[in-house]
Amino acid sequence: MKRVRVNGLRIFQCAAILVAGLASSSAWAGWYNNGKVLLTGGVFTVDGAGGGGAVPWATISGYETRDGINGSAGFTYVNLPALQVSFYGVNVGFYDRLELSYVDSRLSLNLPNLQTVALVLDAVDLGDSVGTDVWNSTLPMQTYGVKLRLFGDAVYTSDSWIPQVSIGGLYKVNGNKELVKTLGADKTKDYEIYLAATKILFPLSTLVNVTARYTSANEDGLTGFGYCHNNGLGTGDCKNKRKVRAEVSIAHLVAKNTAIGGEWQQHGNNTGGQSININGLNLTTITNVLSNLGLDLGDSLKQKNEGDWYDLFMAYAPNKHISFTVAYLMFGNISVAPDQNGFYFSTHLTF
Amino acid sequence: MKRSKISLAIAAGATMLAAAATQPAFAGETKTKPILGIPSSAVADFGGVDGIHNWVESLFYYIMLDNRINYIFKEFGNADRQIALNTQLETMVLGGPNNYQGASMSAAHADLGITMTQFNAVVEAAYNACERNDIPYYSCNDLIAALAPFTRVIVTK
Repeated sequence: MKRVRVNGLRIFQCAAILVAGLASSSAWAGWYNNGKVLLTGGVFTVDGAGGGGAVPWATISGYETRDGINGSAGFTYVNLPALQVSFYGVNVGFYDRLELSYVDSRLSLNLPNLQTVALVLDAVDLGDSVGTDVWNSTLPMQTYGVKLRLFGDAVYTSDSWIPQVSIGGLYKVNGNKELVKTLGADKTKDYEIYLAATKILFPLSTLVNVTARYTSANEDGLTGFGYCHNNGLGTGDCKNKRKVRAEVSIAHLVAKNTAIGGEWQQHGNNTGGQSININGLNLTTITNVLSNLGLDLGDSLKQKNEGDWYDLFMAYAPNKHISFTVAYLMFGNISVAPDQNGFYFSTHLTF
Repeated sequence: MKRSKISLAIAAGATMLAAAATQPAFAGETKTKPILGIPSSAVADFGGVDGIHNWVESLFYYIMLDNRINYIFKEFGNADRQIALNTQLETMVLGGPNNYQGASMSAAHADLGITMTQFNAVVEAAYNACERNDIPYYSCNDLIAALAPFTRVIVTK
């Protein structure tokens, strides 16, 4: 697991150095382009693709037009009561047609009920016997993305209802197999495919985006994909069934450099109602131990129904090289933690 | 049978002539048709035709400051004439009378090899001109919506 983390970081560093190198090299001058109108490339999503905060748009990231290439780097920090997530990533847009992206994310769980279990397992000296580090609470993930613009122009075809349409693929690799399994997911690595349609309605100063994503992700893949029902024997009934889920972004421009809006991202409910699964261990023993200590954790170790993601955001781009997005997130239940609402801060640097 | 075909052809020809006659003789460009329409207050929001003229003057001021595009405007035609023609064009697309006396957008830009980057540079100048002339952002977007369909014929590279 450690090796995967180091690898991911190395790839990220290489990509960053590559992009920085390209930006500074003189050979870049011929293809470098930043001719798009402010904010029309979208900002940096948690998947690395250009778009809103969580929803990828049909627009190609970066400020390049069809005349050249542009790249960007982004950092996003999400702070919810039970967890914090950092996303670092880069993406490159080629000729307003193709986009490649990479994101390294790190989710830190901060769940008192899981920590209580860890504490008790340590106390009763079961920590070693479950074969996993019970204090392990970080979920690192790498997301590789590609997006191809199929047809349409989101910005200038104001006399037609045809939007800009793009197809995208994401490959996500979660680096913490133990914890993903503990949280009842089936897979740590999986792909997602999405189709996005974007249109700017100038007389309303509003951008509308609709995305359909074919996925089996739990919390965007941050807690794995699919489910394994815990039967207490370490085997269980595992499924990774992908479905098409809907996503919508609406951004209203109040000025040429400021957008406000909201997003909705439909989520599945793969792990709702299941108890967390510590390496196939039947948790009845543990909950019995806990009730002897006067703690009834039986119910609180049962995962809540996963909620859809909603957010309200404001994005501000003082110039073409930097933009800031702040958002209020309403993520519903995440794993065993109910009602996760919190803040999101993102910076997008464009070359 | 033959005679009826001929008379049909004559009738069709006459209708087309009549249709052509109702258009102003000098109209080189027609109004665009944005899907959401342009509000009836659009010309007034720009301060009437005089306000549109002031806006076009500001537009050319910002265009001439931008090295990505100023040389094209310097090379092809004098600024005063272009300001006058643009005032007519913008008045027309915003729903005012069609007094446009210039060439069609496709004829006027066919040989210039305008890139998307250069077109966007003019759009940036347009927003700067709106700010300079205190025209609200939302009104400015009405004009962008009205001019946007010309992208297809203006951007040829």
